[in-house]
Amino acid sequence: MSFTIGNVYLKMKERNQYTEIEDFLSDKSFQLWVKSKEDLDGWEEWTLEYPYRAKLVEEARLWQLAMKVPDNNLTDEQIEKALHKTWIKIEQREEKQDFKNNRLWKNNLLRKIAVVFIFSLLSWYTFNYYIISKVEYNSNYEKAISNDSDGLIEQINNSNKPQIITLSDGSSILLQPKSKLSYPNVFKGNIRKVYLSGEAFFEITKNKKKPFFVIANEIVTKVVGTSFRIKANVHKSDVEVLVRTGKVMVYSKEKRKNDCENKIILFPNQAFRFIDEDKSFNKITDITLDESISKMKGNIEQLSFDFTDIPVGQIFKTIEQAYSVEIDYPKEKLKNCHLTASLNDLPLPEKLKIICKSIANNCSYTMNGNQITIISEGCY
Amino acid sequence: MHLKNKILHIGLPEDNKLWENLKNGDEKAFSTLFKNYYNSLVQYGNTFSPFSEKIQDCVQDVFTDIWVYRNNLSDSVVVKSYLLSSVRKRIMRLHQKERIFNQLTPIDEVVFLFDFSIEHQLISDELTAGRVAHLNKLLNILPPRQKRALYLRYYHGLNVEQIAETLDMNYQSANNLLHRALVNIRKEWNRDLISA
Repeated sequence: MSFTIGNVYLKMKERNQYTEIEDFLSDKSFQLWVKSKEDLDGWEEWTLEYPYRAKLVEEARLWQLAMKVPDNNLTDEQIEKALHKTWIKIEQREEKQDFKNNRLWKNNLLRKIAVVFIFSLLSWYTFNYYIISKVEYNSNYEKAISNDSDGLIEQINNSNKPQIITLSDGSSILLQPKSKLSYPNVFKGNIRKVYLSGEAFFEITKNKKKPFFVIANEIVTKVVGTSFRIKANVHKSDVEVLVRTGKVMVYSKEKRKNDCENKIILFPNQAFRFIDEDKSFNKITDITLDESISKMKGNIEQLSFDFTDIPVGQIFKTIEQAYSVEIDYPKEKLKNCHLTASLNDLPLPEKLKIICKSIANNCSYTMNGNQITIISEGCY
Repeated sequence: MHLKNKILHIGLPEDNKLWENLKNGDEKAFSTLFKNYYNSLVQYGNTFSPFSEKIQDCVQDVFTDIWVYRNNLSDSVVVKSYLLSSVRKRIMRLHQKERIFNQLTPIDEVVFLFDFSIEHQLISDELTAGRVAHLNKLLNILPPRQKRALYLRYYHGLNVEQIAETLDMNYQSANNLLHRALVNIRKEWNRDLISA
């Protein structure tokens, strides 16, 4: 009894301070009164105490009537069912966790073993590839040049751009990065011989009397005057040769039983591949079908040096792109010079000579590494 | 508007006892809590999505997590708003995964699935009916978030702080939300009253 009275007293004290309709709306007891007319807290009496309250109460009541929330209440039975379902979920979850915990431990051990295993495999492979291979790395090339009695000049390309080498006979060789070329200062006797490790593009001046030989790994390439690319694998003894113009003969350094089998003649756009592992000697007639060979072509093979009334500046640009060189020329003076010339298949020095001759009498050029300087007063 | 801290339906003090027992592994406490709140949580979930099976699943999952991770539960929670908030978060995650509505905005800003309706049976005179109908219309054109705030306040009996927690906003934002809802309606409604 006293408890109830106490409650009512508390309620009355609180609601005496209600000034906004919101205060009523959040009052559960008020809500109940509006909804069901159950007046446990003497709302009606309280409202009538003061006139201002009536207005407030009325408005609050309207709000409540307008804010009905759909009652999709679940039955007790439905709630029981849901509770039961939930306990089952809990059970399943706890089972899964136990299982996972066991698995994890075994997994951990297996994983550690796997990591160690893979790591040791990798280290073995790396060791093999880099260290052991490096030892064999230069064996073919080094051996070959050490056997050569003539004094050889060696050019090593440690940069990341091709480097142009001009030989005493006017031939030009575009040496690719990570490659080496050994050649004599002057070609003595009746042959021209160079040694290659890596990859280079050759443009050889024609000299029927003095055939040109390139020794790369086990393979010897012989030409009279042509342009071709040789790729001698540095770590293995494989070799690929791709011919651009002219005729190229390829054969193996070692004498084999049947000489005929091991000599191959290549024509333009034909290629050759030697694989050391199985000693296979293969001529490739359709290079478009061979992915590795078609990728071999550099800028130089893809540019055309057939110029018809082309400004000399553009010709120089083409040369720059093909040979990875820089050409410094008097732009103003040569501004209006146009050339018609077919410069395909000529070594670089030849190209420059012809260009210069076509420009003017007093034209000359100097070559310093990959820097070319053209001197001229103007064109005809 | 100043919502003083009245004796509102904050949540029974028994809640805290049940919560404490639940943390200690009392299965009966868990079941009691479940039975007390399941219905209102499902009702709340229904404001987000019409797929009531999915909503019930969500609520059950919330309770499952509470039991399985009971060791990590905080001691000082207001149980009701914690539960409402958990349900909301779970539904939002589900929404993101299933893209039910293909939206990037959080679902509770976009959706409040039902309209407030009118307690017709309690209205006997036409004048009242007209005014209530008008008020009802104004309530229903509120943006979803404001409707949701009103719903939490007057149907679930949450105070501003608890609304803030349930909707994952700070106190001031929750306060403003409610305030805006009520003020705007009153403005429209009073204006019409005066002109009428």
